[in-house]
Amino acid sequence: MSQLHVSAAPHIHSGNATNKIMRDVIIALLPASVASVVLFGMQALVIIAACVASAVVFELLFCKLVKKPSTIGDLSAVVTGLLLALNLSTNVPVWQCVVGSAFAIVIVKCLFGGLGHNIVNPAIAARVFMLVAFSQVAGGAACVLTDATTQATPLEVLAPGAEEAPSLAELFLGTHGGAIGETCALALLLGFAWLLIRKVIRWHVPVVFIGTVFVLYLVTTGDVYYAAQQILAGGLFLGAIFMATDYVTAPVNFRGRLVFAFGCGLITFAVRQFFAYPEGVSFSILFMNLLTPLIEEWTDKEPLGGV
Amino acid sequence: MIFKKNISSLHVPHNKNTAGSVPVPVSAPREVVLPMNMQSGHEAVPVVNVGDHVYLGQLIAKEEGRASSPVHASVSGTVTEIAPIRLAGDREVLAIRIENDGKMERHPDMKAPVVTNLDEFLEAVRNSGVVGLGGAAFPVWAKLDAVRNNEIETILVNGAECEPYITSDHRMMLDRSDLVVRGVNLMKEHMKVPRVVIAIENNKQDAIDKMKELFRDDPAVEIYPLETVYPQGAKQVLLYNVTGKVVKGGQRMASLGVLIINVSSVAKLAEYIETGMPLVDRIVTVDGSAVKEPKNLIVPIGTPIRHLLNEVEMKAEPGKILIGGPMLGHAITELDSPVIKATNAILAFEEKDSIDLEASSCIRCGRCMANCPVGLNVVGIERAMAKKDEDERAAALTKLGLKQCIECACCSYVCPAHRPILARNLEGKEFLKKYNAAKKEGGK
Repeated sequence: MSQLHVSAAPHIHSGNATNKIMRDVIIALLPASVASVVLFGMQALVIIAACVASAVVFELLFCKLVKKPSTIGDLSAVVTGLLLALNLSTNVPVWQCVVGSAFAIVIVKCLFGGLGHNIVNPAIAARVFMLVAFSQVAGGAACVLTDATTQATPLEVLAPGAEEAPSLAELFLGTHGGAIGETCALALLLGFAWLLIRKVIRWHVPVVFIGTVFVLYLVTTGDVYYAAQQILAGGLFLGAIFMATDYVTAPVNFRGRLVFAFGCGLITFAVRQFFAYPEGVSFSILFMNLLTPLIEEWTDKEPLGGV
Repeated sequence: MIFKKNISSLHVPHNKNTAGSVPVPVSAPREVVLPMNMQSGHEAVPVVNVGDHVYLGQLIAKEEGRASSPVHASVSGTVTEIAPIRLAGDREVLAIRIENDGKMERHPDMKAPVVTNLDEFLEAVRNSGVVGLGGAAFPVWAKLDAVRNNEIETILVNGAECEPYITSDHRMMLDRSDLVVRGVNLMKEHMKVPRVVIAIENNKQDAIDKMKELFRDDPAVEIYPLETVYPQGAKQVLLYNVTGKVVKGGQRMASLGVLIINVSSVAKLAEYIETGMPLVDRIVTVDGSAVKEPKNLIVPIGTPIRHLLNEVEMKAEPGKILIGGPMLGHAITELDSPVIKATNAILAFEEKDSIDLEASSCIRCGRCMANCPVGLNVVGIERAMAKKDEDERAAALTKLGLKQCIECACCSYVCPAHRPILARNLEGKEFLKKYNAAKKEGGK
């Protein structure tokens, strides 16, 4: 017996790994990615390719610049690029996609210390940045399966009983204008199922987030059909399933995550109802990201046996 | 209050490969090395000299001071050396070395102790040299002694054996169930305890069935099947999952009316009271990915670990050797270290199972916290450990309740970033202990 290893307990491991989790998130985003190409044509693929490639390249370049070992192997840059792409419409030119990716990866993530250290979700922050910088990110483009050349996003026309608003079926399948990855609720739910099966996330955050928005619309309008349209329209499913569940920028404790999800729902409703912007999902997540340390403090509980 | 009934939740591969392996005596070791401290208290003091002949089961060191335990010769032979040795965990301790004459000869006068009342019972338990055989190694007499000052309602016999691979307690329940029954009855009779619960994980259905059958006419004894989730056998976890009680900081479990005692310890104290043979051997599981034919061995205490590894067929060169299970065990390099009273397993792993995973950044997934049986804010503790200022660090760690960490390693096991969380918690506990001791010193 030559060299025996010595290390601290435990000596076995669950086998889980950061890059395996990220790979599962990418797999969960595949249905929405495929749907985006079906609904919005090859330009959707161009946007996805531009965002993912530039996100990875920017992370690699940053690591080179600060002389750190490359971190692209953890696949988190791919997730960020893909999420950003799915948040944009085909109306967004490729150069803006690249600028958005640079903002997400370099400013929001790497400058704060890389994966695990960023305060806000990189893809959400980049989407809001692009909204401010370029005025339009999710609107303007039409679904290629319809005759229209431009379409308003559902949230711009949605009102109780509005004739021109898409039906529930159209909203569920995503055959209407919007960001390429946000319109098809069916594809997003398939991704949700994958995340649950693989135990990447638990169901509570998406359900509380979406449920809060639904209940608030139901209570304020008394219109079930309209409340259902509201939760299917815009980026709510994409945000609730894939971005409010981002480990890094949401509370780390279970109770905190519930509070976080409820806050997201509340703010989404408030922005949609009372603000000048038609959509509030990004703002809500961004704002709750900033509240995360406080929520963790509020919801911290004593360990068994006391302190 | 707590929200869920079962506070342990982790499914780890059981690998109970030796569950069907009846313990066989190990071949006679050439010599045994018996450390004077195999428990969590004071060292025992030798009462033999170099050159003395000793019989199997003869007292060779008497207990001295708090939570000490006597040591008995585990073979017959000649004392060849009394000198310090190094144990796993780098602890230096005085040890008696006995050359085995191979006869396993008992003292002609060895006889069972007379036990008719509580005092005589506790005295016998003390003289048996039995300590917590599940790993904690706290002397059993010191634990049972609490019955004098506390109203004990329940004795909880721990047969959970939740660590992967190990089947030492399992085999004891199957092969020496007579001793388990005898031990339970002795405790009931002399300690006047109204209720005994034998808790066994439900991956040992045969042991559950056997115990149920043996105690079917005794309404005071309950067999409690536990869900097989790690760390079911940790005493705080077991206490909560079986009784719903919680030991608060600074409290002793006895004050809640409960005593927890390992099932093999129960059997061994019964063996002494029945035959007069103190704790001189134990069942050790020898397994691991480098072992071709895993076995349960009956091993004289003090047998060198190397001797056990020679008893099983290997299929690969071991890359790591553990004393104890894979969740809590110590990796060792010194194979001449002896099996001690609390050694329930020796595991040998292949090279590919021995390499440490590289740690990366915490992604705040919260798995460590979701799987912590006592609900510690593990991520908060890691953040607190990074504080440079010692006063601030100590205050933060105290506020987070780090001392409640039961060191079960679930956090490290589930961490996708492979962070050494348990090691850092232990470091934090050590720091707090030193910090508070220094504060006390300074306060005087």
